[in-house]
Amino acid sequence: MRKGDKPYNSRFYARPRGAEYEKVMKDGSLPDKYRWCKWVLILTMVILSLRLWHLQIMQGNEMRRQSEMNRIRIKKIIAPRGVIYDRMGRVLADTRPSFNLYITPEDIKDFNQTVDGLATLMGLDREEIIDKLKAASGFPSSFPVKIKSDISMDELAKVEANRVYLPGASIQIEPKRNYPHGTMMAHMLGYVSEISNDELKKKEYKAYSPGDYIGKYGLEKMYESYLRGIDGEKRVEVDAMGREVRTLDMKEPIAGNSMYLHVNLDVQMAIEKMLDGKRGGCIALEPKTGAVVALVSRPAFDPNTFASGITKEEWRAITTDKAHPLQNRVIQGRYPPGSTFKVLTALMALQEGLINEHTGFSCGGGFPFGNRVFKCWKKGGHGGVNVRRGIVESCDVFFYNVGLKLGIDRIHKAGSSVGLGKPAGIDLPGEASGLVPSSEWKKKTYGVPWYEGETVSVAIGQGAVWLTPIQLVQLSSFVANEGITFKPQLVDKILGPDGKTLKIFAPVVTVDMKLRKDVFRIVKEGMQGVVNEPNGTAYGSRVENVHMSGKTGTAQSSTLEGGRNLGDHAWFIAFAPSEDPGIAVSVLIEHGGHGSSASAPVAKAVAETLFTVKPEIKEASAGASR
Amino acid sequence: MRVDKRKLYHLDWYLIINGLALFAIGLMNLISATSSFYSGSYSFIIKQLVAFCVGVILIGVIINVDYRSIASRSHVVYFIVLATVVLVLVWGMAAGGARRWISIFGISLQPSEFIKPVLVLLLAGILHEKKREKALLGPGDIVVPFVWTLLPFILILLQPDLGTGLIILLVALVMLWFVGMKKSTYAILIAVGTFLPLIAWRFVLKPYQKQRIYTFLNIDADPLGVGYHTKQAMIAVGSGKFFGKGYMQGTQHKLQFIPEHHTDFIYTVFAEEWGFFGSIIFFLLFITFIRRCLRISQDAYDDLGSIIAFGLATIIFLQFAINVLMAIHLAPVVGIPLPFISYGGSSLISVLVSVGLLLNINMRRYMF
Repeated sequence: MRKGDKPYNSRFYARPRGAEYEKVMKDGSLPDKYRWCKWVLILTMVILSLRLWHLQIMQGNEMRRQSEMNRIRIKKIIAPRGVIYDRMGRVLADTRPSFNLYITPEDIKDFNQTVDGLATLMGLDREEIIDKLKAASGFPSSFPVKIKSDISMDELAKVEANRVYLPGASIQIEPKRNYPHGTMMAHMLGYVSEISNDELKKKEYKAYSPGDYIGKYGLEKMYESYLRGIDGEKRVEVDAMGREVRTLDMKEPIAGNSMYLHVNLDVQMAIEKMLDGKRGGCIALEPKTGAVVALVSRPAFDPNTFASGITKEEWRAITTDKAHPLQNRVIQGRYPPGSTFKVLTALMALQEGLINEHTGFSCGGGFPFGNRVFKCWKKGGHGGVNVRRGIVESCDVFFYNVGLKLGIDRIHKAGSSVGLGKPAGIDLPGEASGLVPSSEWKKKTYGVPWYEGETVSVAIGQGAVWLTPIQLVQLSSFVANEGITFKPQLVDKILGPDGKTLKIFAPVVTVDMKLRKDVFRIVKEGMQGVVNEPNGTAYGSRVENVHMSGKTGTAQSSTLEGGRNLGDHAWFIAFAPSEDPGIAVSVLIEHGGHGSSASAPVAKAVAETLFTVKPEIKEASAGASR
Repeated sequence: MRVDKRKLYHLDWYLIINGLALFAIGLMNLISATSSFYSGSYSFIIKQLVAFCVGVILIGVIINVDYRSIASRSHVVYFIVLATVVLVLVWGMAAGGARRWISIFGISLQPSEFIKPVLVLLLAGILHEKKREKALLGPGDIVVPFVWTLLPFILILLQPDLGTGLIILLVALVMLWFVGMKKSTYAILIAVGTFLPLIAWRFVLKPYQKQRIYTFLNIDADPLGVGYHTKQAMIAVGSGKFFGKGYMQGTQHKLQFIPEHHTDFIYTVFAEEWGFFGSIIFFLLFITFIRRCLRISQDAYDDLGSIIAFGLATIIFLQFAINVLMAIHLAPVVGIPLPFISYGGSSLISVLVSVGLLLNINMRRYMF
């Protein structure tokens, strides 16, 4: 309607319909804007449809993938490690549930808030957390990174209460290795610990990921592949906070295989008790099979500390300890064998026919050789000594003479042929070789020839002869078995998680040496005398009702600590019962003084535990293993 | 006042059925949006149904009164609503950093929702009066409408509720355009229109509102805040693909990746579960509804009815368009509810009041 046309009165003006419609609109006061509206609606529809086509059809698959990634996390279910039992089925190592703290980088909303929050709550170092996150940087951001293992109930409560402020933090219940006997058997069982960054880079650990536990010592390391089990996984749906909403599907973990050891916990505990507070090692095995009944090294460490995630301070304390608790003295400690070596000297001299049962030497308390006098331990001397008495009373002068007759190279050959100076082959990692010297060895190592005077020392187990306790228990077995030794073995059998036997470790012969019968008879009589004759060096450790045979040793040591000589190493090797040996033992106590007084009682305790019924020991062992 | 039986016959059943269809879809969608995979809380649904009943009763009241009488008293309602908006600013309940709600007898109300239809009524009355004097509005004629618009606009911005503020400003402009303006008026509006945003940017917009605009322009600049939510909203919509994930199967909203998924981002729930196919049908329902509103405007008995109906249609259209565009990242994030679909009693009642007014206008198109 143009200005000046008939007045517009809405109250009495009805707009005609139908054919007149367009005309009326044009004449009306309102301009026709509806055409525009139609186009606006069409344009809106077109824009929305095109955009939706782009998002839902063209990018649909990608968007669907992203929404799946948003919500689905693959979580590892850690398989419980195999249980380790002693020969009677008593648990030596098992698993228990523990709470572990994780961070899932993808779920972190504010990096500083989560990291600082956790650092404050858990008393951790911010850098420590960041280091752990960095270590897992090669993995997808949805991969949970373990920050702290085995947190306490107190810490658990703190984290759970603050979950809202700590997006990305989560707590998983996972099996943790548990050693119910603590420091006992630490060197035998070993420990598990988190895999290190360096190990992760190695090819053999391809199947592992950060935060995984791996056997690093002892049987745990040796039988890692058997004990580990197969981790399961579950696909879970998580919400925007990273909380698990539901489990979509799950692959159950398969527990590790269990292991039965030859170890007898009673014997083990008897030895542990004897060596408490000392430095040294002891191994007891069955000479007829090589089955290791007990293995003790002191001082020890608590493997549970490692399984809980050892702190830097704890690790430093263990590695800088002057007593070297991480060293397994039984297989890694090399000591001069002292008089125990006389057993070998005697055997070989008899076999070679250099001496016989009646050959005698006179001991006046010293043996002049070259420009010096080699002393006998007994100042006044033993007088006329034959081989049997030489062993019983451990006469040095007798063996100086025999040693000289044998010569170093025959001693070396004899030592090698019974397995001295090389690893005994026990199923533990890191066994040391030791040394039985030869003239060739000296030439090669030092470029100078061998002197006869050195042979005199070696004949009584001093000088350049270095042996481990496990090698000497093999020497004891060699005598007990009359020429045969078996590979020392800790593991008897491995059982699958279903209880089926996977593997049985049969005895393996390592030495089979034919010596004349009377050679063993003579040496055995001597060793029998050591314990059971009043003039024997270990008469004080004789065992009621059971005949034990043995040989003491007192090895000179020049170790100084704080300017003071710590004293001699005390040795004792033995087997019992003498008539039909069921056990061979070797005991070493560092700076223990005399083998007779320090080490022989340990062997006595072993024989007593095994062969005589002593109510208080039975009770004590039953109490401790509970 | 009794309604003529013949007038009931003239009720616009197309509009009613179309609106009911939208509400039904909204209710169904809301059930999914407010329940998790395990448990559902029906308190949202019950509240929504109660608001719907209140809205229907209001429709019953509204259609009994001639819209011209309502329009002539609209300034009274306008001031009442404005007063409650002020009340909200003083005593209102804060939620999400804004004071938008007021509790009356235990019922939370969001008065700024009601300002929309009321302002349309008021402006329509004023513009209609102006139009009786001249064909095209000059610059002086738009001063009064702008004063009435800016008053609630500023109050609402103070809450702050940028979405509702923008809607009422845009509605006022569209209504001016609808009744026709002189070229000089357009020129002034364009001049002011270019300066005002600059002033707004400098003085009015809060940092979080600016952030949303930055984020809209560069979504990856803020991967954890608003950008994260926008991205998750797009993932929700996109992951629906052609036929959707299925009703109650939307993981994005059920696992809380979408904020405000039962109010401002409600469309993402629908798109995720019903896909492209469902969305197109859903859009068409909205478009036909708005077409129907425009038809009512076109067929109104008088210019007043035309202007009111057009204003109401504009409100519904703008809310629909901006809300959906925001969800699919074609507009910055602003808090605007999707009519009929979003959870919120005040919003639903406001829409139903608009429907009542539209029915009212339509019923009286054959008055003699």
